Order: sequence, then structure tokens, then C-alpha cells
Amino acid sequence: MIRPTRRKILIGGFGALAATAAGGLALRRLAGDRGVEARTRAGVAFGTTVALTFAGPEPEPLDAAVTAGFAAIRACEAAASLFRADSALSRLNRDGRLDRPDPHLLRLTRFALDLAEASDGAFDPTVQPLWPLWRQAVDEDRRPAPEDLRTAVALVGWRDVDVSDDRIAFRRPGMAMTLNGVLQGYAADLVVAEARRLGVPDAFVDTGEFGAYGASPGGAPWRLGLARAAGAAPDRVLDPFTGFASTSAGAGTPLSRDGQDHHIFDPRTGRSPHLVSEVTALAPSGLIADGLSTAAYVVGETRGRALADRFGASLIMRRDVV
Amino acid sequence: MKLPARLVWLLLLIVAFVLPGAPPACSGTLDRAAMEREFPAPLMVGERDDKLPIWPIMKQAAGSWEVIAYAFESVDFAAIPGFGGTPPNLLIALQPDGRFMEAKVVSHHEPVFLEGMGSGPLFAFVDQYVGLSAKSAISVGRANARANGAPASTVVDGVSMATASTRVINETMLASALAVARAKLGFGAGRSAGLKVEAKQDGFETLSWSELLSKGYVKRVVVPNREVDRAFADSNVSNADPDSAERPDEPFIDVYAAYLNAPSIGRNLLGDAAFTKLMGEIGPDAHAVLILTAGRWNALGENFVLGSIPGRVAIVQDGLGINARDNAVERRGAGPAGMPDGPWSILRIGGEAGFDPSAPWTLSLKVERERGQILTERVDREFTATYALPESLFTRTRPASGPSWTDSWVARWPELALIGASLVLLVPVLGRERGIVSDAKTFSWFRTGFLIFTLGFIGWYAQGQLSIVTIVATIRAAMTSRDFSFLLYDPPSLVIWIFAIAALAVWGRGTFCGWLCPFGAMQELVALAARPLKIRERQVPPALDVLLRKAKYVVLAGIVVAAATASPLVDPMAEVEPFKTSITLFFLRSWPFVAYAVGLLVLNLFVYKAFCRYLCPLGAALAIGGRLRLLDWIPRRAECGSPCQLCKVRCRYGAIDRAGRVDYAECFQCMDCVTIFHDAQQCVPRVLAAKRPKVRLTTTAEAAE
Repeated sequence: MIRPTRRKILIGGFGALAATAAGGLALRRLAGDRGVEARTRAGVAFGTTVALTFAGPEPEPLDAAVTAGFAAIRACEAAASLFRADSALSRLNRDGRLDRPDPHLLRLTRFALDLAEASDGAFDPTVQPLWPLWRQAVDEDRRPAPEDLRTAVALVGWRDVDVSDDRIAFRRPGMAMTLNGVLQGYAADLVVAEARRLGVPDAFVDTGEFGAYGASPGGAPWRLGLARAAGAAPDRVLDPFTGFASTSAGAGTPLSRDGQDHHIFDPRTGRSPHLVSEVTALAPSGLIADGLSTAAYVVGETRGRALADRFGASLIMRRDVV
Repeated sequence: MKLPARLVWLLLLIVAFVLPGAPPACSGTLDRAAMEREFPAPLMVGERDDKLPIWPIMKQAAGSWEVIAYAFESVDFAAIPGFGGTPPNLLIALQPDGRFMEAKVVSHHEPVFLEGMGSGPLFAFVDQYVGLSAKSAISVGRANARANGAPASTVVDGVSMATASTRVINETMLASALAVARAKLGFGAGRSAGLKVEAKQDGFETLSWSELLSKGYVKRVVVPNREVDRAFADSNVSNADPDSAERPDEPFIDVYAAYLNAPSIGRNLLGDAAFTKLMGEIGPDAHAVLILTAGRWNALGENFVLGSIPGRVAIVQDGLGINARDNAVERRGAGPAGMPDGPWSILRIGGEAGFDPSAPWTLSLKVERERGQILTERVDREFTATYALPESLFTRTRPASGPSWTDSWVARWPELALIGASLVLLVPVLGRERGIVSDAKTFSWFRTGFLIFTLGFIGWYAQGQLSIVTIVATIRAAMTSRDFSFLLYDPPSLVIWIFAIAALAVWGRGTFCGWLCPFGAMQELVALAARPLKIRERQVPPALDVLLRKAKYVVLAGIVVAAATASPLVDPMAEVEPFKTSITLFFLRSWPFVAYAVGLLVLNLFVYKAFCRYLCPLGAALAIGGRLRLLDWIPRRAECGSPCQLCKVRCRYGAIDRAGRVDYAECFQCMDCVTIFHDAQQCVPRVLAAKRPKVRLTTTAEAAE
């Protein structure tokens, strides 16, 4: 069975990538040499692992940022995680409507619908009905039947989501929404905002997507490595790295053995797009980076770059022969 | 008598006010700092789960973090009271593959491991789990089971003398690991740890299709069209089925379900050869369930793929879906005469699913209706039926996870019989004051003999020394788990407890304290043996004596408060009793404990049974309970106390006051005064009466109040 865990393609780093392998200890040593305190706390959220790293001269703001950062992550999960049956989004999917929606859910939904409009439906948060179909098929080691796929695709349609401050509702029964394409980036935004609010001078946030500002505890800039596959050595390094980055890669969560099917769906066909094999989006916010990497993955290079320009983001794309 | 009354009130107040407010003792105690000590760098103790007290233990690999284990405290998930009444608390780290990465004792109150043996064997016992999988039912074997060929993946070596405690630890280990596995790892649904339920393979009964149905071995689920329509009435596909409206009473769903492992079901349905083949195919511990779909609705779905998980049928037990997959056995016309036509699916349920076929389960059938051709909309409704088989078809075994309480009663029946016989002997001796009691010499032999039995057999051999620890454990259990079953694992003690409490209501504390307490017997026998030394017993000045008598109530109150507030002081406080040192461990203990116990025995030569009278919290508890006493059974005369002071002077316990009244809270039922009462040569009023035959003797039981 394939677990819906998004594997990491981006590799976070502080100063020297070699230091990351030694973990928090090396990081602390690096920090100590400069008289700087550092804190790294990892955890499990969004069905994957997350890690927050903060550095600065005073320990108190760092500890406070760890606490506040995880509180923000839990708030995101409570609002929009599909791993939680009691999240606001899960309830919306179950009931088809949700009164007095959680503000985080509201903000995420509005952005997802804006992006859907801007990408002309290439990014569509209402692809969720495809997921159980694929899950069941994968469990039985097959592809979904074409007629089932058509039925599910018929339920996709971002225009049929009504959003107001008091209510989110689907116009058609059977519709369901996923915000996995924007949620982790949004969480990175919230964590970075908390760290800045608490006066943390340097932060590196990995919520599945990445956000960083300041410098690494060793004094060198933050760096971010891009690897071709999980576990591989990075073949491209963003140095320095500040702002937000998000990667979408089909290979991250394959649904079939030949790699033809994966967790990103083209909302119009219900199948996986193959125009590119990997997109990394760099943007002023995690929300934009996360959403754009998914959207660009579906629409391909030319339209993807045009879309990125409109949101003030830039893209790094890769196309492997499958 | 006044002070105990006040103390009773004090204790009642404690029970009324302190107990309900006391925090429950059953929650984990380790914080982040403690966890980080257990899992130091390069491991990282990840952010604690926000719903459950589970800590991910993480490791960095190629720049990202991986969860290598989930760490938790067992008491948060399975608080199973141990032998001391308090649940042991273990720190467990469970790997994503279900194996134990770490298992350690955080705290425990298992008396056998606290002293004597020490905690070492317990830690070594728990260590054995590291590397084993929580997916398998691990059982506790004998002390050297593994060396003697027991499978090392499912059997851990037990600790002799500690079967009950290791059983509790094993249960705690598995039950808490399964609870965490259910929450985080996706296995362990269903039943409790270790329970193995199997269909009996003997007792085959040839049954026809109709007999199988009438016995409920095959369950038929029929839902007529009308009911299906009703279920969809509130949806916009209420009229999607035109056939329904025409024939409302005809069945829509007609499904049969049967549990095949039972030969009387499986063999009858499949035939000998196919049944044997199927049982071989699914493997041990697995279950097979037959679903036959006969009605116009196909439970398997039109595009059912052999070997897949059926989408419309689900087996649910205790609210949890049981993972069941088609075992790819096509029907091809098989089945007994009378079985309706239609496709079947034989579903296999793996042993790890924790399915209990002897308990009822629910067959859930999902009916789906569609509307529209292009934009097809689907609405589904669920229909359920319960399937239950008689328990007689199954054997339920807890695979040697340690003895159940009945085992220890069965195994120890000779001891229990002898103890029971001694109690049966004791009752008439104490009850008939004109019997053996009235004969000073015979009675003295009887008493010495009985005390030797109490010390040697009840105490040292059967380990039936009652203790304040049991009262503490009962208080703890009352406040936390309300599970008092630990009392059942110590049959001799429980028998003596029951007898002592019954005797309390008749005679007072003396029956236990004077006859059945092994340490009490030891003091008396030591005093007897030391008689040639001619040590003169000292008289405690009356004022001091009264004060010292109160001390035991203070000790008791302290222990009760400590127990009720779950204070860790309670275990050291209970050491005021020398019982563990002298009876349980036979003086094989570190020297301060031995010095204390021996010191009490020596003190006893100077101040007779000083421990019992002044310090013993158990004696204090029994004295308070003794206020329920129904009989003032010690016979008194008007002359007792005025003018005769013989019994007062002769009472070695100081339980008779100058007025001749008996203080039953201090009486050890040695019967000396009863013997005197009936002895014409000793009892002063009788001696005098013999000289002046005109004087009538009066016997009054009311003289004692």
C-alpha cells in the first residue's frame, strides 16, 4: 500500500549541507562558536515530517517561536488537514457545507479558488473525489476504470464552491475539496510570521515546503539543496536562500509501479500530467509558492512561467524522460 | 476507646474530602526533558502529538527528518493494575514496523521487585521485548523458556516467584503498544492483546443448507425493495429504481454470510477437500468468511476482481472495520444442495487484524444509486446485519500470557485446604469457652502448636502474611482503576483476609492479631523460647502506654493519606511493617531492615508485642474495623475489677483496665483471662466462693459495657 506521505525532494540546509547530516548537535556547535543559540524541533504534521530551526542571541524567543510555530502548524491541521477526520475541511467534505468556517480554511479556500481562476482550472482544489478512486485502485493494484474516472472528474469544478465569510458550501452533492496543494506553504507563512513577531533573527522552516530568513547559525546564508529523488545528493543548491520555496514532483508519491500515475491530478482528465517532472517555485509567500508549483506542474513550462510572473514568483523546472 | 473514635472520624473525613479531590495517578510523568534524556542526540524527540501523549522519535537523514519510533508511556494507554494495585508504567518506543525499539520501566509498585529480588530482574525482563514485534501475541514463558526452545519472537522468559507481576507487565506492554499502533501505525484494530480465538476443529456435525440457516451458522440478509426505497427517500435518487416500485416486497438485497473456519459450517458448505485446501491456504491464525450474493443486487459489484477488497461489503467489529480481502476462490457451481445460485467471495481476514470470530460482528452492505448520464451523481446507503456464532464453537486462549487467577487457586489447593482446615479447627476452640480453653495446660499446648503453624506454614510457606500494603493497594485501585482483581492472585492471603474480617465482626481484631499473624506468632514464640533467659518484662507506665497505643493510629492515618494522595512516600512508610523482612524475605535483606525486624523481636522480650500494640498500622486498621464487633464475648463477673485485679495484672497486652473492663481494640484473644475465669483454682472470686459456699457468683457479660 502506498501511504500518502509526500517525500521530500527539497533538502533544507544551514550554511554547509554537510552539517545537516549531523543534525541538531552540529548545528548547535556551529551556533555556539558564534555565541548564538539555536533550536531545531522536528515533528509530524500533514502526514509528513516537519522541522523548525531558529537561531539568535537569546534563547527565550527561540523557545517561544518553537511553541508558537507548532501551535500554528496544529491550527493549520485543525483547519484543513485531510488526515484528520475532525478538521474543518473534512467536515466540509462530509456535509457539503460548513457554517462559520475557520478563518484559516477561509483564507486557504479563497486563495485556492483565485489560483484556480488564474490558472484556468489547471489548479483546482476540488479534485478530491479522484483520490479515493485512485486509493482503492492502488490497493487492488490496478488503474481506475475509465467510467469511474469520468464520474469522478464530473464532480470536479472550482466554480461550484460558494465562499462567504459565514459559509463555505458545494453546489453539487458528492463534491469534495483538498487544500494539500497550498496548506503546507501556508503553514510555513504562519510559522515565519510567528518567528518574526517574536523577534527571532534567523529562521529556517520546513513544513513540507520551505521558508527562511536571516542567516544560518554558522553565519553563512541559508542554503537549499534540490535533489532529483528523495535521499539523493542535491544536484542544485540555492545559495543564498531566503523567502519561500515549494516543489511539486510526481515521483514524490507514485501511485503506480511504472511511475505514470502519481498524486498530482490534472483536474480535467483525472490522470497525472507529465509535461514536466519537477517544479520548484520561489515566491514571497509559502502559500503562493506551494500553489504555483502544483499549478505549473499541470500546465507545463510556458504557461507555468506566465502564471508565476502574475504572482511575483519564479520557477525552476526540470523535465526528465519518463 | 475515645481516641480511636476520633481517628475514625478523621479517616472518614479523609475519605470524604481528600479522596475525590486527589488527582488520578494514571497518567504519564515524563516531560520533554526526560524524553530527551532517553533518546539523546543524534535522535530528536519530536513535537508531541497534539491529540495523544505520543512523542515521535526522529532521526535526520539526507536533510529531512524521519520518524524512527513513537515513544509513549504505557500508563496513558493501558493502566493495568499490578500486584501492588498500582499500574506499572513503562516507557515504550514502537517502530513504524511494529517492533519495540525501546522498553523501560518508568515506575512500578510490584512488591516482589521492590525489595528482595530488587528491580534488576524486572528491568532484564522488560529488556527482552526490544526487537520483538507488537504484531505477534507475545507470551511469558517459564524462567528459562527461550533456552529450552520456546520461540524467541513470541515468548519472553518469565521470572520465577513473580508470575503475576510479569503477566501484568506483558499485558501492559502489548495492550498499550496496540493502542498506539491503532492510532499511528494502522494495525492492531479489534481485540485485546494476546487473546487467541480459534474455531474448534473437532465436533463436526453434518448439517444441511436449511439446518445451517436455522442454526444461524449461515446468516441470510434480506432487504426488500420497499425498505431500500425508504432509505433513499430523502435523497434525490429516491425514484431511481423503477423495479422497486413495481415489486415493493421482493428482496433487493439477498446476501448470505458464513464464518468458514468452524468445520460444522465450512466443511458442510465447501465439502471436505475444498475446506481442507482453504484452511491450508489462508494459513494459521487467519479467518475465512463466505459472502454469497443471491438477490438482484450484487454485493460484490459487477466488476469484481478476484483477490481484491470488495467495495460494497465490509466486516465491522467493535466499530472498527476489519481488513478482509477476497481469497480468489471461485464458486464454479460449488455449494451444498439448496444453496441459492449466485457468485460468492471467500474473504480472508489475517491474524493481525485482531478479529474475534466468537464475538458478534456486523456485515455492512453499501447500496449505491446513480442519477444522470453525463454528470453522474452517486448516493449510497448502508444496510447492516449482525452475525454471531455460539461460543461453544470456539476455544478462547490467552496463550500462556501467565496464569489466570483461577490457576493459582487450583495450583495451591492443598495449601488452601490446610489453611481452611486450621480455621475450621480454630473457630470452635475460640467459640466454646468451656471447651479446651478452660483447661489451662491443654490449651497452652494448643496455642503454641497453632502459633508454630501460623508462623511456619501460613507465614513462611504459604506467604499468607496480611499486610497494610494490601489495604494501600485497595485504596489505590479504588481511586484509579477500580480493578480489584489483583487480590485474587494471592489465594492464601485472600482466604485469611476474609476470615479475619468475618472474625472482626464476631470477636474483634484479636483473632487475626493473636492467632493468624505470622509476625505476631514469631514474637510470641521468641518470647517463649527466651523464657530460660529470665528476662523481666518491663511495665510501661500507664500514661505512656495510653500515648503509645495511639501511635499506631497515627501511622495508619499517615499511610492512608499517602495512599489516597498517590504519594510516593507510601512505599517507604509501609516499611514500618517488618513483615516483608521477616516473613516474605526470611531476613535475607539489607541490614537496616534486618536490624529493625530483629530489634522489634528483642524489644518484644522487654515490652511484650510492643510492635503490635504501639506501631502496627494493620492492627490499627483492624482495631477500627473491630468496632463492628457484635459480641462482648469475654465473660466477666461483678467482682472483676472490684475487687479482683488478677486478670488485669495477668493480661500481657494491658487490655483490661482497673475496673475489669476489656478494651477489645487492644485484646489479642490469647484467652488467658477466659481460662482463668473458668479455673476454680485461679479465679479469685471462685476460690473465695469455694470457701464461702453461700455466696452466689454472678456472671455478667454486660460488665464490660
